[in-house]
Amino acid sequence: MGRLISAEFRKILTTRLWWALAIPAVLLAVGWAWGVSAFVTDIADDVADSDLLATTGIEVSDMSWSVLALTRAMNIATIFPMVFGALALASEINRKTITTTFLTASSRASVLGAKAITYTIWGLVYGVVVAGAASLGTVLGSNPDYLPEGGDWFLVLMSGIIACVLWTLLGMGVGALLGSPVGALVLLLVYASFVGPVGELILFGVTEGSHLTGWMPNGSANGLTGATASEVLFGQVQEIVGNNAVLAQADIEDFDIGVRFAAGAPGAYSLWVSGLIFLGWTMIFFVSGLLRNQRRDIT
Amino acid sequence: MHDGSGRIVVQNLTKNFGQVAAVQNLSFQVEPGSVTGFLGPNGAGKTTTLRMLLGLVTPTAGHATINGQLFHQLENPARVVGAVLEAQGFHPSRTARDHLRVYCAAMGMPDQRADEMLNLVGLGSAATRSAGGFSLGMKQRLALATALLGDPQVLVLDEPANGLDPEGIAWLRTFLKAFAASGRTVLISSHLLAEVEQTIDQVVIISHGQTMYYGQLDELRRSQQSRVIVQPADPNKLVAALQEAQITNVTPMPEGRVAVVGATVQQIGDVAARAGVALYGVQEEKADLEQLFFRLTSGQYAAPGTQLPPPGQGQPQQGYAQPVGQQGYPPNQAPPQQFQQQGQQSGYHQPPPGYQPGYQQQGTPPGGWGPPPGQPPTGTPPGGWGPPPQQQQQYQAPQQDQQHGGNA
Ligand SMILES: Nc1ncnc2c1ncn2[C@@H]1O[C@H](COP(=O)(O)OP(=O)(O)O)[C@@H](O)[C@H]1O
Ligand SMILES: [Mg+2]
Repeated sequence: MGRLISAEFRKILTTRLWWALAIPAVLLAVGWAWGVSAFVTDIADDVADSDLLATTGIEVSDMSWSVLALTRAMNIATIFPMVFGALALASEINRKTITTTFLTASSRASVLGAKAITYTIWGLVYGVVVAGAASLGTVLGSNPDYLPEGGDWFLVLMSGIIACVLWTLLGMGVGALLGSPVGALVLLLVYASFVGPVGELILFGVTEGSHLTGWMPNGSANGLTGATASEVLFGQVQEIVGNNAVLAQADIEDFDIGVRFAAGAPGAYSLWVSGLIFLGWTMIFFVSGLLRNQRRDIT
Repeated sequence: MHDGSGRIVVQNLTKNFGQVAAVQNLSFQVEPGSVTGFLGPNGAGKTTTLRMLLGLVTPTAGHATINGQLFHQLENPARVVGAVLEAQGFHPSRTARDHLRVYCAAMGMPDQRADEMLNLVGLGSAATRSAGGFSLGMKQRLALATALLGDPQVLVLDEPANGLDPEGIAWLRTFLKAFAASGRTVLISSHLLAEVEQTIDQVVIISHGQTMYYGQLDELRRSQQSRVIVQPADPNKLVAALQEAQITNVTPMPEGRVAVVGATVQQIGDVAARAGVALYGVQEEKADLEQLFFRLTSGQYAAPGTQLPPPGQGQPQQGYAQPVGQQGYPPNQAPPQQFQQQGQQSGYHQPPPGYQPGYQQQGTPPGGWGPPPGQPPTGTPPGGWGPPPQQQQQYQAPQQDQQHGGNA
């Protein structure tokens, strides 16, 4: 297995794909975080200046609104490790290097296993890089008052890194299942950037705000990153409200829904539940991709 | 984990791709120390068979073993069997050296093995070039280098000569013979008998996924027979008379002619005279090996499933008749081996030491067929392969046929 993992690392490092995907991932994460945090800062500043909050006595700057930028930026940048994973096996099948790969391994399962380990590590690398980029963009775009505490910051980044790893493996599973890079990329990109989000909005609306969307692959992935951010904000608001009888419990629940929406995770479960659901989806695709390749005729 | 014999056994192998019966009940065995040719026209099922042997395609029925094991039972398969397969892939932007190093890592060979193999196949100077820019011939060489990376005991090659230049083909021949002579096993497929005729000892000929012939090439040579084409005044009467004389392999041809196999011109003439049938023309056609191959695989003379053509007259066949089915093959008097003597074999280098001893003793290859007339004895190049005896020997045959023309 060690030999095959080393071979997989060589495959990755002797071609351009890894940095061709890392560069746009960094740019997008920085840009997105910057844009969102600037936007959130603007709104928060406006709200802070309004009379509305004056009556409640809430300080807008007590809230770390910019976690929304962190989580949104990491969420959008997971597309790149997903693409990276999708090409792991599909491009070997497409370029027929899979023949030699299978001929030089003790079994197909060992190849898939070595790839899973290798791409988990690469998913981590992408995750850390993207986390750094999202943090940078957030610092650049946000009013320092709205930046989260170190611990919250770390929690959001961790959930984003886990999301990157799982998206990498899910992409790999889909690629292995379809065996075609184009097919896998089209399916994943259309799902992750359009069908998933829009479908979840509709589902969320139709089911009147149920947790059903949190069970979807994209919904649970969003929950993994978004739920953390909304929990941070929700926790802060409850703390503030605790000292403040003006806001009713119903208002707090509305706030929760709203902030989950803003974090891009309507109807999602909490961090750990979302993470487990997404892990489940990843395993489904990964295992079926593995089984598919156990039987595939390489002609 | 495996018996180390180097033997390939294919047993009742069958593969259907949906409706297509690609391979049907194929059985043969390849012994170490010999080169076996696996021949058949395009679409005969060669690639499918080899891929089943290598565990890449799952057989519908039957099985194939290497060293007594199914491919997937081999612990580190690349150390046992190396394969050059048609359309073998390379990542277009990965360099030749990097490509080999990837698989060095996979099979646990030291990295320097990559450069050694590149030098062996004559790609030493292209090590840092991307495989995507390689010519077909260079890709074949890189595929061979990949196959040899694990220093395997068994070599399986699917149409490896495609795209190779004449120098490369000649080198490959020498290489494969030496490889086999060192006690290893070679199975090589081709759709051209002439391409491998000089290299192989044993032959498996398939057509439409079925075995047409399996045995020593020499036996096949001996079995070749002539046929006599006669133009009788009354074909029906002649055929009846021939059959009465126990000459039964008779085929009607256009314009009232009759093709007779298994009888001499004299015998036919005698039968015709006795029957009172006038003969307007008698022509004897001798089949050469290529024609025989063509007959075996075209299904025209041998019904599918027939194992062996009917025994010939057992004559030694030095004189090959003029080829009838012109396919552009070289006449056998000018065996392509002549190219071994051609100039300096600049690109190729010494084989790894393991291959040498066998080659030195190669005087009489396993099949028992000696060097073609006018050739130097093959067994005595000074140090392995390198440039074969070009020092003692100049061009043997000045004329070059089409296939091997175009000096590299
Ligand atoms: N993946 C496949 N799907 C369907 N038919 C196939 C496939 N691979 C090969 N065949 C068919 O099987 C037959 C044998 O093909 P092949 O083994 O490639 O022959 P050869 O190598 O002798 O030219 C052909 O009729 C070919 O069309
Ligand atoms: Mg073929």
